[in-house]
Amino acid sequence: MTIPSLIKALLLTALLLIGSTIAASAIDLRELIRTVERQYTGQSSISEVEMTVVTGHWERHLKMESWSLGRERFLVRILAPIKEKGVATLKVENEVWNYLPKVDRVIRIPPSMMGGAWMGSHITNDDLVKANHIDQDYDFTLLEETSESWRIEGLPKPDAPVIWGKIIYQIRKQQLVPSQVDYFDEENILVRRILFDDVQVVSGRTIPLKMTVLPQEKPKEKTVMHYRKLQFDVDLREDFFSLGNLKGRR
Amino acid sequence: MLYQLALRNIWRNRRRTLLTLSAMIISSALLILALGIFSGMLHDMLASATEQYYGHMVISANGYQDDRDMFRHFSAEKSTGTVLEQDEILGYSQRLRSFGLLSHQQNSSPSEILGVLPLQERTVTSLQNSLIDGNYLTDEDPNGAVLGSGLARRLNVVPGDQLVFVTQAADGSIGNDLLLVRGVFSTGDIGHDNALVLVPLAWLQQVLVLPGQVHEIAVRTDQPLNAAEVAQQYRAHLPETLEIFDWGAMLPEMREVVASYDVSRMIIVSILYIATGLGILNTFFMAVMERTRELGVLMALGMRPGQIRAMILLETTIMGSLGLLCGAVAGIALSLYMALVGVDLSGTLTPITYAGGTILPRLHAVIEPGNILIPSVCLLFVSLLAGFLPANRAARMQPVVAIREE
Repeated sequence: MTIPSLIKALLLTALLLIGSTIAASAIDLRELIRTVERQYTGQSSISEVEMTVVTGHWERHLKMESWSLGRERFLVRILAPIKEKGVATLKVENEVWNYLPKVDRVIRIPPSMMGGAWMGSHITNDDLVKANHIDQDYDFTLLEETSESWRIEGLPKPDAPVIWGKIIYQIRKQQLVPSQVDYFDEENILVRRILFDDVQVVSGRTIPLKMTVLPQEKPKEKTVMHYRKLQFDVDLREDFFSLGNLKGRR
Repeated sequence: MLYQLALRNIWRNRRRTLLTLSAMIISSALLILALGIFSGMLHDMLASATEQYYGHMVISANGYQDDRDMFRHFSAEKSTGTVLEQDEILGYSQRLRSFGLLSHQQNSSPSEILGVLPLQERTVTSLQNSLIDGNYLTDEDPNGAVLGSGLARRLNVVPGDQLVFVTQAADGSIGNDLLLVRGVFSTGDIGHDNALVLVPLAWLQQVLVLPGQVHEIAVRTDQPLNAAEVAQQYRAHLPETLEIFDWGAMLPEMREVVASYDVSRMIIVSILYIATGLGILNTFFMAVMERTRELGVLMALGMRPGQIRAMILLETTIMGSLGLLCGAVAGIALSLYMALVGVDLSGTLTPITYAGGTILPRLHAVIEPGNILIPSVCLLFVSLLAGFLPANRAARMQPVVAIREE
């Protein structure tokens, strides 16, 4: 074998290899993101969460319990503080309702208010509705791979109804959990960063129990969600996620 | 002697005098009416921009009007000092503002809630005159709401229905409470009709957890067109944490509309003045011109040129004043009719919202001293000139030439 033909053969092999890894990672990336985005819900889940919201004007600590079933249903109810005990949010498919015990009324969130803050935090109603569709609405490419992590970029599909112009995931290879997710707007400006810590094994799953949302235009503000109790694959049925249940059984 | 002569001359040819007078009366009356209607349109527009919502001036914490940040609030009693006690202030209204979700049964809509003291608010805005259903708020009402017609339609509510308002309170909690619909207003301004709700100040202070606080004080003055200067004077008396804006600063588009309207009004008014002035000039000029021969005879009898001029000036002054007096009275009467009754054009025109102001489909006059005095003085001057020119010409002729002229 001559040297040029050897080089040719090597090049060909290299090309084939690269091609196959690209093809393989395209499938894997979508699957990976799906796993990441569903880490807290699973097939079904019950959890107790503590949420701390810090803004320039006030700081709040909320304790909530939540239930979820698949991607399309979840219910969350505030347990403390007393003033807001019983305030609840129900999401079924693309609809969001809030229940206000003080006035005993259920309010449907109209599409125009989906960008509004959820429970006064830095999480919007849209996050609740659309986050679960990210793996369907975006295309993913691997930006960087180190021995510990992947950096994956998500760009919206041309006609997808999305909020973010770009999402960059930083994922821990070993545990398959995210460490950081950056959200960019259409002008490619970093709008929000979410950090994940306190990785633990719960019901056989490895997940980060603490999530910190940092809005970039307000550097002093943040929302921290810390899962205190988490249980997956529990017995929940669709009819649990009803307006009646939104009002609370107690 | 000249005075008697002048009077006699006026009486001598009654037909000529009446013709001249009627030309003067009709044209001055119509000019006054036209000016009044132009002023009325300007007032309508300015009023719709300021009386529907903003007021003539607004006092608020520094920066509040830029972002309407809920946390830029202040205590009205403590900080405004004597500014609100000035004579030119006709009224003021303390307001607290919140943006949130308003809901009735299955319907909900984002809205702007304005917490007001109803009696105060009525002195600044005139929403109470735009009610199409129900009543305005009263000071005793604990949780009433008056909302725009578009919002009422979207929520499908009528007076008597309950509303839920939800927003984030100043302590971060979820502020929410019930409201009772009292009335529905329709201003013609789509932005306000589709989103604005008036509620009692104390109710909103409690929902937002901002006791005793307001976001702005809207002020009404008796000089809306000079609001910028008045605001400038007040600025010195306000603490540094507060700022004051006139309606021109709040509604820069409206200020431009008023400015461009002023220019076009000036052009039309100039044309009207010229047309009226030329008509009067013509009538007076010809009336004296045809008397050249008579003036020649007077000169032949020994009257001096100066006396001729003085006599004619006296005549035209008497006729001009009389005509203008009658014309002004007629003009005021017509303007008064247009001010009190007006002409409703809503059958053929719909209200136009432009630059924050609404042009109502009506002809409506406003009586301003300037609209009567300025045309009167101008037209008197024109009639004097019109009489003086031919008199001067005749006075400079040789009596013989003047007598011969046909």
